[in-house]
Amino acid sequence: MSQREIAYSEVNDDIVRSLVVTGRNYYITLAVSILVTFACFFGPWFYQIQYGIGAAGMNHPTVWGTYLASFIFWIGLSHSGTLLSAVLHLTNSEWRKAMYRSAEAMTLFSVMVAATMVMVHVGRPWFVHWAVPYPNQMEMWPNFRSPLMFDVMAITTYMTGSIIFIYMGTIPDFAAVRDRTTGWRHHMYVLLSLGWRGTDTEWHRLHWAYTFLAVLIVPLAVSVHSIVSWDFALSIVPALHQTIFAPYFVVGAIYSGTAGIVTVMFVLRKYMKFEHLITKLHFDNLGKLLLVMSLLWTYINAVELFTGWYSESSEEYEALGFRLFGFYGPLYWEMILFCAVAPLLLISKRFRTSFVPMLILSIAINIGMYTERFLIVATSLPRQYLPDAWGMYYPSLVEILIMIGSFGMFTTLFLIFVKIFPSVSLYEVKETLPEPQPKLRTQSESGAS
Amino acid sequence: MAINALGLFDAPSSALEAAGELKGAGFEAPEIISPIPIHGVEKVLGKKKNIIKRFTFFGALFGGIGGFALAAGTAVLYVHVTGGRPVIAIPPFLIITYELTILCGILATVAGFFLSSRLPAMRDRVYAPEAAVDKFAVTVECEDSEQFRRAHEILQNAGAEEIRELGGSE
Amino acid sequence: MSFMDTLRTRWQEYRKPGYYDEFDYAWTMTIDLDRCTGCGACVTACQAENNIPLVGETELARGREMQWIRIERYWEGEYPNVKLNFIPMLCQHCDAAPCETVCPVSATYHNQDGLNAQVYNRCIGTRSCAVYCPYEVRYFNYYDHEWPSPLDQQLNPDVSVREKGVMEKCTFCIQRIRQAKDTAKDDGRRRVLDGEVQPACVQTCATEAMVFGDRNDPQSQVSQSMNDPRAYHVLEEVNTAPSVVYLKKVEANVST
Repeated sequence: MSQREIAYSEVNDDIVRSLVVTGRNYYITLAVSILVTFACFFGPWFYQIQYGIGAAGMNHPTVWGTYLASFIFWIGLSHSGTLLSAVLHLTNSEWRKAMYRSAEAMTLFSVMVAATMVMVHVGRPWFVHWAVPYPNQMEMWPNFRSPLMFDVMAITTYMTGSIIFIYMGTIPDFAAVRDRTTGWRHHMYVLLSLGWRGTDTEWHRLHWAYTFLAVLIVPLAVSVHSIVSWDFALSIVPALHQTIFAPYFVVGAIYSGTAGIVTVMFVLRKYMKFEHLITKLHFDNLGKLLLVMSLLWTYINAVELFTGWYSESSEEYEALGFRLFGFYGPLYWEMILFCAVAPLLLISKRFRTSFVPMLILSIAINIGMYTERFLIVATSLPRQYLPDAWGMYYPSLVEILIMIGSFGMFTTLFLIFVKIFPSVSLYEVKETLPEPQPKLRTQSESGAS
Repeated sequence: MAINALGLFDAPSSALEAAGELKGAGFEAPEIISPIPIHGVEKVLGKKKNIIKRFTFFGALFGGIGGFALAAGTAVLYVHVTGGRPVIAIPPFLIITYELTILCGILATVAGFFLSSRLPAMRDRVYAPEAAVDKFAVTVECEDSEQFRRAHEILQNAGAEEIRELGGSE
Repeated sequence: MSFMDTLRTRWQEYRKPGYYDEFDYAWTMTIDLDRCTGCGACVTACQAENNIPLVGETELARGREMQWIRIERYWEGEYPNVKLNFIPMLCQHCDAAPCETVCPVSATYHNQDGLNAQVYNRCIGTRSCAVYCPYEVRYFNYYDHEWPSPLDQQLNPDVSVREKGVMEKCTFCIQRIRQAKDTAKDDGRRRVLDGEVQPACVQTCATEAMVFGDRNDPQSQVSQSMNDPRAYHVLEEVNTAPSVVYLKKVEANVST
């Protein structure tokens, strides 16, 4: 897997160094992202809670806006990590092992940001716990017939599953790091490693538990984004009421998630100095996956337009026409350019194995995918059945700030993660290395008693 | 008080060999501590039964039944009709059932893992920190010094780089 | 086996769709478009009766108007041969309402009178109901509204004032229905008489274009009115089973 042989101990050294040795750049980035989080996310959000949702640009026909688009975007971004990791674990793909930890972390933090976006989205976030089924003195329970309630259940399950999946895979690594650290870090890792020793029994149990978790998580991840799509598809809004929406969202989610992984891999490789662990092979494989996803995504988009056109219903015509050629039309074509046309470059192996072009493409794809989610909300709702209630929606400053702030929050969480979790799986990278062979026994070694 | 013999090896194959010999010599349950899961442990130390799958299965079953019961039960507890649908509407409740099946399956798997691997264990146990880096340790519990001497011999003949005498784990 | 029988009957009961049909009242409104002049008196009456806030100029420009009943205007033809059509649009109190199923906290549900009820205290403001409503008659409180003095003096004490982050919509003047039912009970009657209760818009309508009543009672004025051959539902094709019936405007076949 690599250009030169790496010894087991070198892997440990690399990972422990990434946890313990912290450069100035790290602190600067962390400080900036914390600042962005507070200035752009919590500040505007606090203002919005004080003032009301009116601080955002939503209005009468378009009652959903960028908050929901961001929510779908973050949920989508979360989709590759755990799902990809689980699928690749079940299919015994070797190349997964160097990258899955950070991919799973991406999942976890995206889901967290997405859950926060829900809080930002609702009108009375201080009552949002009413959507959670718990016994209460009002004897009121949530409405389990609601697609939003499916969402609550699915995202809770997904978040729990992702936390457990990433934590369980890291226990042996916590143990390895525990032995090498001192001070507060040592105490933390003693707690986190739960007294793991690495005996054959423990490995055996871990293997099975991990495999069962992977088996459970694959259908879970597919269901989560299907359910998110049903928030839209179960309505009767023209251009949202589509049977194709569930696969569309799942494919889009995996697509943007994979692009997100490419971005994160690039950054990790560059700034955590994992050049010999994350290699061209990973970018090549991820590139192939991206290409497949982009083709699927393009296909589903074409189907969506075709069925809308073929239905001959005036509402569908109007909504689709507004999306393609209305005020936000240029955004639509930008999305097609970034998500359907540009990824065709991935056909070339030279492109897939060059790092900087892959970074640029992955960012472009995610911009396109954000646009897609924005367009789903912002071009369908203003054109519904009654023309008198047609309207227009423009995001307000608060919304744009919160969107930027959500990226800051994600970065902050991720930066804290890379200093606590070994961001590359120690034991699984070791598994990909050639097994140590016994040295020739010399007389002097076996002589002593 | 029991003594533990711990031999450090530089390769999984020699560690396996040592463990096999210890088992052959009548020692009870030699253990291998390794930085990576070793292939072929089962052949040497015998097949391991694993109860995790039962946990997963029954957890998921509980979640499935519980999920539908939660959705249907709460709907019946406080009846309010929405959208002309029946109070117990099957298709949406199946989605709740599905999610809770998976949630309980996951939680039960974790519980099964912790129980069957005896984690979390915060007390001191036989351990060699090198075995988390690149060494493979074989440990065995010895009842007296005579047994320890035998274990020592076996480990040494199998090519142990270093042999340690560790306190018992009660 | 009696336990199993009970279980079966309960199951069948809970599996029965549309179970509001059994209840005493099914409040219905008919709007005769032939009589409607589009004067907007109903809009004003509703505003006064239900403490609907006045959002002001800037918010109106941002498309955040609050009117539980609105007059939709549709122009037809090119100038000078233009024709104006209008249709009052209010909550249709659908029997198969899409807005009800989507609320995660059951803040909107179907009550025993066949009304589509909105519980302001329960609402968490996901605004999904407004998305799911094909008639666009749900209005959201984007911020806390103010009634500068002396406007606060005319607030209706029977109707709660909604706080920010809450969805609201036409209730068919549920406070009046409540009162009428109470009066009926006090008088020892089982039912509210036909015409005893009228929402503010119906009461105000100068041309008596709107009729309100109980369609479960075949003798009621509204039931008679519903049998008119001109009767239709708006957006019948989306299968929401609305409780508001429109009577089609009869076009005079005049050649110009």
